[in-house]
Amino acid sequence: MTQRPLELILARNLMSALSTPAFLVDEGGLLVFYNEAAGMLLGKRFEELGTVGPQEWGSLFGPFDENGEPIPYDELPLVTAVRGGRPAHAELTVRSTDGTHHEVEVSAFPIQTPHGSQGAIAVFWPTANGNGAEPA
Amino acid sequence: MKVKLWGTRGSIPAPGPETIRYGGNTSCVGVTLSDGSMLALDAGTGIRCLGLALPDEPARLHILLTHLHLDHIQGLVFFAPAFRPQTEIVIWGPASPEASLRDRIARYISAPLSPVEVRELPCDVSFRHCPESEWEIGSARIRAASVTHRGPTLGYRIDDGDSSLAYIPDHEPALGADLAQMDEDWISGFALARDASLLIHDGQYTDAEYPCHVGWGHSATSHALSFARRTGAERTLLFHHDPLHSDDQLDELGAAAQQQWVELGGDPGTLELAVERSEVELPARAAKAAAAV
Ligand SMILES: [Zn+2]
Ligand SMILES: [Zn+2]
Repeated sequence: MTQRPLELILARNLMSALSTPAFLVDEGGLLVFYNEAAGMLLGKRFEELGTVGPQEWGSLFGPFDENGEPIPYDELPLVTAVRGGRPAHAELTVRSTDGTHHEVEVSAFPIQTPHGSQGAIAVFWPTANGNGAEPA
Repeated sequence: MKVKLWGTRGSIPAPGPETIRYGGNTSCVGVTLSDGSMLALDAGTGIRCLGLALPDEPARLHILLTHLHLDHIQGLVFFAPAFRPQTEIVIWGPASPEASLRDRIARYISAPLSPVEVRELPCDVSFRHCPESEWEIGSARIRAASVTHRGPTLGYRIDDGDSSLAYIPDHEPALGADLAQMDEDWISGFALARDASLLIHDGQYTDAEYPCHVGWGHSATSHALSFARRTGAERTLLFHHDPLHSDDQLDELGAAAQQQWVELGGDPGTLELAVERSEVELPARAAKAAAAV
């Protein structure tokens, strides 16, 4: 067992208490948690899905750009935040398990610690013209 | 490894007739390693008596600070060995992006709060930030990891031969987390305490008091017990007693804790409240097995 860095543990604890959809990746860019609100958006709770790699994530949920093309995992705001060590923002579409598409704005920022970047957090906001669910 | 509790109180010293049994001195635990090396875990007011008990001869001592709240450093300027030129003291503690460990401690050991400055201490004192990876002191391997509290705070694990001590005096692992459900790698401090021979852990509040102290950086009884059960520590001492808790109240807290411990499947003999000046000897595992036969 590798102990998660405290900053990631605290981030997860905070995210669990938020009703804004939020996602957490570790320092390698692997999705390690999303909260209940994000689960409602995706149609699947994190506990059901578990930690997933980039391939599986893409085939399940997209995300897609404005032309409907899948956005490579490496170009997602979360991943650019953790790899580039700087905030990132994008508008994109995610597909929930029931096939509904949700247009969202995504802001991601890196979790910087005394030992360097330990991961990143992204929050999702349904866009004004989004055809998906109400803000959770 | 020999462990002696010189201060078991949290937050502020609480001397007086009401606290005479569990003690009023703040956090300090003396550890004598199997090769004779001496460590002090934290330097609360308990370290004053630890210093008085040490022989007046050339020595090298290591002080491992979990964090710099006053109840963990207040005894430093009254630690007799610090005033002996023949003593070498190495102070370990958490790094901070804001200032060095030495500069942060010097805010306390300086005018007007202190009659002496760090540079005036007659001993040979040095300050070191705890490394991210394990390091050695004498016969022990030491590990430090950040844990949930207020401000940069460490917990320690000391492995000496086959016995291990986990020291996490200020810790709120249940803040925003369900300790019974959460995966082990997502629990603050878990790796430090895993299967430790002895866990010394924050048990400041009763379950009834905790709701008024959420986010203050400390544990309720049930959190400490849940943490101890999950980590599989062989023996647990509830530590960092609230200064408002009298001996009688601690007796009650201890009895309630014991009941919860048994309900959680714990062995009643493996949970106690920390008592100032009490000692625990952690024998090597081979000797333990022999004793059990
Ligand atoms: Zn404390
Ligand atoms: Zn503290």
